[in-house]
Amino acid sequence: MTQPVAKLRFAFFVTVLMAAAMTLSACGPGEPKTSGAPPDVRRLTEEQYRNIIADVFGSAVVVSGRFDMPVRTEGLLAVGAREATVTAGGMRQFDETARALATQVLSEPLLNFLLPCALSNQMPFDEVCASSFIGQVGRLLFRRPLTDEEIGVRVAIARQASESLGRFEDGLHIALSNMLVDPQFLFVTERIEPDAKVPGQLLLESYSIASRLSFLLWNSGPDDALLAAAQAGVLHDKNGLEAQVERMLASPRLETGVRAFFGDMLKFSDFKFLEKDTEIYPVFGAAAVKDAREQTLRTIAYHVIDEDADYRDLFTTRKTFMTRALGQIYRVQVTAPNGVWVPFEFPADEFRGGIQSHLGFLALHSHPGRSSPTLRGKAIRNTLLCQEVPDPPPDVDFTGFNNPDSPSKTARQRLDAHSTSPACAGCHRITDPIGLALENFDGAGQFRTAENGEVIDVSGDLDGIAFNDASGFGPALRANPAINSCLVDRLYAYASGHKLGPKDAFVGYLEERFAADGYRVKSLFKRIATSEAFYAVSAVSPATSAAAAAAGQ
Amino acid sequence: MGFVMTMWNTAMHETPFMDECPQGPTPGNYELWEASISPEKRRSYPEVLGTQMRWLTFRGRKGEDVCEQPMSIQDPPLTIVEGKYSYGIDLDGNSDGTATPKSCAHRTFTGMNGEAGVDNQMYRLLGCIQAWRSTGHLETNANSQRRTGGLGMILVEITGVDDIRNDDDVKVTFYRGIGSFNLDSKNNVLPFGSYDIDIENGKPRYDDTVDGRISNGVLTTQPADVRLPLYGNYQYLNQLIRDMRLELNTTESEKPAKGMVYGYYAVEQFYDYVRGLLSNFPMRHKYSCPAIYVAAHELADGHPDPDTGKCTTLSSAFKFEAVRAFINHPSKVDAVNEAGRKTSLAANRP
Amino acid sequence: MAFYHAKSTHRRAVLRGMLAGSAVTVALPFLDSMLNNSGTALAAGKPLPVRFGTWFWGLGHTPGYAVSDKATTGPGITFSGECEALKRHAGIINYFGKFNLPLDGRSNYPHTSGWVASRTGVVPDKNNDVPAATFDLLIADEVGNQTRLKTIDLTCTGNPDHMYSARSTHTKTAGEISPAVLYQRLFGADFVDPNKADFKPDPRIMARKSALSAVAEERKKLMQVVGASDRIQLDGYFTSIRELENQLDVQLQKPEPNKACTVPPSPGDKGVVGAVTGVEIGRVEATHDTFARLLAMAVACNQTHVFNVVFSDSFSGLRRQGETLTHHSLSHEERADAKTGLQPQTSWFNMRSMEALARFIDAFSAIREGDGTLLDNVLLLAASETSLARTHSIDGVPFMTVGRAGGRIKTGLHVVGNGDPATRVGLTAMQIMGVSVESWGAGSLKTSKTITDILT
Repeated sequence: MTQPVAKLRFAFFVTVLMAAAMTLSACGPGEPKTSGAPPDVRRLTEEQYRNIIADVFGSAVVVSGRFDMPVRTEGLLAVGAREATVTAGGMRQFDETARALATQVLSEPLLNFLLPCALSNQMPFDEVCASSFIGQVGRLLFRRPLTDEEIGVRVAIARQASESLGRFEDGLHIALSNMLVDPQFLFVTERIEPDAKVPGQLLLESYSIASRLSFLLWNSGPDDALLAAAQAGVLHDKNGLEAQVERMLASPRLETGVRAFFGDMLKFSDFKFLEKDTEIYPVFGAAAVKDAREQTLRTIAYHVIDEDADYRDLFTTRKTFMTRALGQIYRVQVTAPNGVWVPFEFPADEFRGGIQSHLGFLALHSHPGRSSPTLRGKAIRNTLLCQEVPDPPPDVDFTGFNNPDSPSKTARQRLDAHSTSPACAGCHRITDPIGLALENFDGAGQFRTAENGEVIDVSGDLDGIAFNDASGFGPALRANPAINSCLVDRLYAYASGHKLGPKDAFVGYLEERFAADGYRVKSLFKRIATSEAFYAVSAVSPATSAAAAAAGQ
Repeated sequence: MGFVMTMWNTAMHETPFMDECPQGPTPGNYELWEASISPEKRRSYPEVLGTQMRWLTFRGRKGEDVCEQPMSIQDPPLTIVEGKYSYGIDLDGNSDGTATPKSCAHRTFTGMNGEAGVDNQMYRLLGCIQAWRSTGHLETNANSQRRTGGLGMILVEITGVDDIRNDDDVKVTFYRGIGSFNLDSKNNVLPFGSYDIDIENGKPRYDDTVDGRISNGVLTTQPADVRLPLYGNYQYLNQLIRDMRLELNTTESEKPAKGMVYGYYAVEQFYDYVRGLLSNFPMRHKYSCPAIYVAAHELADGHPDPDTGKCTTLSSAFKFEAVRAFINHPSKVDAVNEAGRKTSLAANRP
Repeated sequence: MAFYHAKSTHRRAVLRGMLAGSAVTVALPFLDSMLNNSGTALAAGKPLPVRFGTWFWGLGHTPGYAVSDKATTGPGITFSGECEALKRHAGIINYFGKFNLPLDGRSNYPHTSGWVASRTGVVPDKNNDVPAATFDLLIADEVGNQTRLKTIDLTCTGNPDHMYSARSTHTKTAGEISPAVLYQRLFGADFVDPNKADFKPDPRIMARKSALSAVAEERKKLMQVVGASDRIQLDGYFTSIRELENQLDVQLQKPEPNKACTVPPSPGDKGVVGAVTGVEIGRVEATHDTFARLLAMAVACNQTHVFNVVFSDSFSGLRRQGETLTHHSLSHEERADAKTGLQPQTSWFNMRSMEALARFIDAFSAIREGDGTLLDNVLLLAASETSLARTHSIDGVPFMTVGRAGGRIKTGLHVVGNGDPATRVGLTAMQIMGVSVESWGAGSLKTSKTITDILT
């Protein structure tokens, strides 16, 4: 950067600072104070692990091996990750994966690129080189600079190993694969420190702030610039933090974070086990499963980031993206070559509108061989409206409802017993009308007007708003206030990892601001990322040091 | 409305015991070669022929390849169909098969629904050759090659349709498709795929258009000369079907729609195809090129040569199946726009 | 002695063609010359290890169409209907009928409470909670530390979540879904050929082990920084690290020679679940059968002493190609015969499950070990988690032991529970395997009554 430009930047920075200070004090109903929660420990999810590895070693590195999946808690895997640990089998997998990764990193061509020194054919152990390598890689993997002691331990490991195995890179291999199974890599551990400015107050350490921020916005570890900002201490300063947030929101990597959030919220992890009967739905093969997931995520990313549009319109928008393979299932013409994604808009007279009319929703929440109004209704209630649907009673026996003399032809007829029998109606009235609205779409998401020869009746109402068919269902969903509060709740839970109390003032504040901002998701991300509540911490829960020491044996 | 053809066969009426071929199936190169030498001579060669195999192909009087030069040897006449029934229609407008200004004398068939005066000399020619029947190799192999390779794809586009059930005035265009079929796990072609038209120098390579009408969902076209692409048994076919008429039941959208093509097929054009088949086919799949050549000329019943008066085309009928398809015209191809490119970034992450 | 020689050729012949149909000279982990005269122990005096396994299938049996009731405990199990295929193995099975799972008033979470209660001894308060460790892990803690792999956990449905072994809610074991990957784990780079005379501890393994020790102090310090509930999370990690270290230790020791334990050919993933998920029954069966053969070989070669196999998950999404209803949907929607209560299509899936179990038993009994077969030194617990799936009934959930557990149990008995808690089965299994436990379970599931009827 040239001197005049730097000076200009500084002047601009000062102006911004002053303006911000004035704005802050001039703010209307401000952010309510939060007491914060204790610092947390959470395990990396599979996506986060892969993202960090790609960030540090490049996307050419292949991460193979299976990952323990966190238990979905409060509707989110991100929250479950807060309680996830590593099983014995999972440890074995991590170890296998780590060794395979280290092999790739320490072989040509990556080796030359990543190693801060040139390798020679002899075997002297290059202490400086090892130190530098471990320090650089460790800082990005552990998401903070390593202490001299920590580096020293690992350099010693590398030295000893290179002596017994014969080559410098073999020594590094042992050190690197060890770091990749280290709890400081696999777990995000937050640390606190006393607030120098406010006695008695606790602050999240800078590097922990950096991690919270970067996992929220990019679903990955902090990059070099963010770590540098943490090191410089500017993340405790409102403007320093905001500058990083702005940088990260403007980055193309925001898309990774947005996709990760919506993928979690919409339970897209289920795609891994989605299969359709190849006789009943021959068109829905493995390629369709991949494309269906990508289509909805791409639509959301474009809507929320590129267009920065109203979140509620996600349930009515006819704009989406299409490939030739998907076109065959939607029965629409696609001119792009095979495998290429193109923007696509459904015609107004079709029943497709909103992500709930995508295959990624319709096929995901169906059986392999038929549709399921109950599954779809439950999915909308759970994932989009954040409403609980009670579990079915265990002793339900509705084989008696099946009358073989007049078999029900449509799902509505089959589920009639659900809505008329008192034991069943309570819950099924919550789910079935929604799912029945989508019955024009079969188990693979293809459009149909009749089932078993009988015309399908898709009329119904959603919490009081009536509709005649799927094209009316989208607006009904859009108008339901629960979709907004649900999104806010979910995003905050995803960001902070803890369950929200019913009277959480900060979330109420976020909901108000979300509406005032015109339901802009990017603004919501920003508001959370720049809030005080997001970083507020209380003390670690007390425990005797003896117990702590014993547990660490 | 668009369709893509998924199966194409010469329409043959076959009975399980070949009743329509009282003289039995026609002999192939091996049988003919064996019949041309004495039993002792045969015994002097190994039972399983080795290098002698080439004699079967090159058994012309002067050692010519008998398929390349079918007049180089005189084989016993081809056994042809003597049965009564056949697919097809009355192409020459004459129900008794006598010569007309536009056709030569020939025997006619009775149609599958009892129609009189059905002209199908192609069937008469090929019906007793095992290789061309449904249990033989040629047509099955050709269909399989087209299906898995996407070669010789015929796109049928119906335009000017006001009412898909009844419309007196529509146009039907035949294109060649470029691309591959999307097959399900049983190798069936899935409907509603999008296919690109094969373009050369800015123009479709094939784009003959004919008039047609739809009546109760069934499309029929007016007679016209139509060039159709095809591919079969390792050869690209550039086939001209004269006085071609097409029938297609357009109401089917889930399962393949069935249709028929009728018209006259030039003898030389047909024999070019026979000539180009693999040289071991006449032995392996039992037919004789010389016999086919001679018979084809004798059976030709259409388009008499103005000078010689000899007919040059064979009345024919073809069965096809087609599924609904979207046909991409070049002017409608969109470029991948910026949004699409940007959002592909994240998708490229593992 | 001539008797043994004749047998050994017979054993090799039996095992030819076992894996993927190709001629493989696999097999026998303990050669005659290494056994004592009665074939019950290694010649060096060490007894043959007893291995433990579980085999799970979803949606139980149709009462009355699987095993005929008995009034009192005694020899003789009458298999029928869905259990037709098990008739040929009746001699090596013990069946446990009429054992219940009282929930002390808590909800019966469909297809969850049953397995959680029977495997952990504790009734879950919330859906998907696992309040205590499942007993297979308690057994593994006891007998699993001398093998390279502490446990082998296999799922035949393609979904690693379909596994019923866990230390806690957030520490659920993931099942292996791919036979090809399992093969690599068993016989790939980490496989130590027991027949190499010049066994040298792999320096790489020593280096890995020493690296783990070098950072142990650092790990301990980490525990001091975090809060109490987070310590539980990290504790799980540390337990797993210890198991990894243990695994490395085992790999550094010279294994017992297994003269004919050669590496079998890889099964690949063609036609089986693994690369592609699927619960179409044909695929599940193909995956299961491949797993069974590989697992039997792994057990015989002492790669593990504890294993878990899930044929179908507790909800049983098993399906038939071209049918709209899955096994689960059928169990709830198929019309039951008014008199007999039988749902024919549901029952069909139950029968296929039992046929798979029978083939699993075949795979283990095909391997000769000592005087008998591998099965003689195995205690396999085959169980479901409902009896009548239609009503999610968890009374009379079917349990079976298969194998002689090294002579520690009798076989061929039908044990009648008279409504006792099914935790008696888990308790007995643990005691047979040497876990020192007097009583197990909580609330009405708490028991200290071993099922002595089956003990020798």
